[in-house]
Amino acid sequence: MTPLPFAPLSSGPLLAGAVLATVASLWLLLPNGRDTASIRWLGSLLGLAALAAFIAAGRRLGGLGEEAVFLIVSLVAVISAAATIVSRSPVYAAIWFALSLAGVAGVLLVLGAQFLGVATIVVYAGAILVMFLFVLMLAQPAGLAPYDRVSNEPFLSALAGAVLLGVLSLSIGRLSAGPATCCEPPSRTTASPSTATPSATTGEPAPAAGDTASGPAAGMTATAVDPLAENHVARLGGELFGRHLVAVEAAGVLLLVALIGAIAVVSRGEAALAGDTTTTRSAAGRSATR
Amino acid sequence: MNTAQSLPLLQNALTVGAILFSLGLVGILTRRNLIVMFLAAEMMLQGISVSLVAWSRYHGDWGGHVLVIFVLTVAACEAAVALVFVLQAFSRTGRLDAAAWQSLREANVARTVDHELPSIDTVPPRFPTLAPAGVLPPADENEPLQREHV
Repeated sequence: MTPLPFAPLSSGPLLAGAVLATVASLWLLLPNGRDTASIRWLGSLLGLAALAAFIAAGRRLGGLGEEAVFLIVSLVAVISAAATIVSRSPVYAAIWFALSLAGVAGVLLVLGAQFLGVATIVVYAGAILVMFLFVLMLAQPAGLAPYDRVSNEPFLSALAGAVLLGVLSLSIGRLSAGPATCCEPPSRTTASPSTATPSATTGEPAPAAGDTASGPAAGMTATAVDPLAENHVARLGGELFGRHLVAVEAAGVLLLVALIGAIAVVSRGEAALAGDTTTTRSAAGRSATR
Repeated sequence: MNTAQSLPLLQNALTVGAILFSLGLVGILTRRNLIVMFLAAEMMLQGISVSLVAWSRYHGDWGGHVLVIFVLTVAACEAAVALVFVLQAFSRTGRLDAAAWQSLREANVARTVDHELPSIDTVPPRFPTLAPAGVLPPADENEPLQREHV
């Protein structure tokens, strides 16, 4: 296999331009009390330019279909995420976030995480986001609040985020396929028999069958065909309830504690509000409101 | 070695995760609505999830998948508890503003003062409306009781 044609800093100026465009775009688009249509258009154009620079700096995938699908779902995820943090209305922010979750689920599906893609939709968009919307309906004052149309230090925040993004992108671009011995997958011994068995019986994934059945030494290979793809959910469940059983129990306890804690905070908070709202708390609230 | 084939996919997915994380960071730093801040925090978790699954795909390992499942669990717990606190905060101050709680700041930190707060609802939002249910239309004596053509 030929090594990837890989120049570590070849996309440096492109990434720098993308970071600068991201700063300017976020600074223009974040709510700042002076929204006019022209500023929004300029910010959106700069954001699209930043996205185009990131796409141009990205690596080409193998097949055209995979590349197109990955491009579409990641664009949906990223554009909706940007719209989430720049939209004035929190309801619209939540709905943009749901669209971003759909994009993230698509990215996870492209990456071969079938269970996690569906679980993201079910748990996040189905449960958590609906909870957010419930709280918004309970707590949102009528109309757009003034604090939704200003931001805390939008320029410095956009600069910080874009600098982080630039550093991360640089270090991601410098990744190279290291020696195969440096990162032995820990579950290789457990994964290999279960990989070999269905491919030997069905014989359906022809290029993968030769690699994975050739022994445990071929554990790192066959990443073009995902080694986690066969019997994905069953093997994920086996891994989860096998090696990580204690963690699953701990997560269950955490869910129970969070449930009880939420109920306790609600009931005690309402009792406290009904009790002494006259003296200290309302004074503190008034001074905080001012 | 065959791992080089999936290296571009790993890098692209890590870039998507980094973009999501950075956008969430900007959102949580700069927005003042508590709920939007929590949405931004969840977005950072999404970026982390994408990165973990990308590494998991690259190494052919289940660790990233399992970790993302626990991230989902913790995110659900966090959202439940945090939204309760948001509701409590709203019922005490009447606002979802993070700056309403700036009396909790340190003693040597200047207080946040909104110098140029935009006026209320310069552009009123237009939401889609439904026909109100259960309301009788105004009576009209001249209106025929039946339609002429069915």
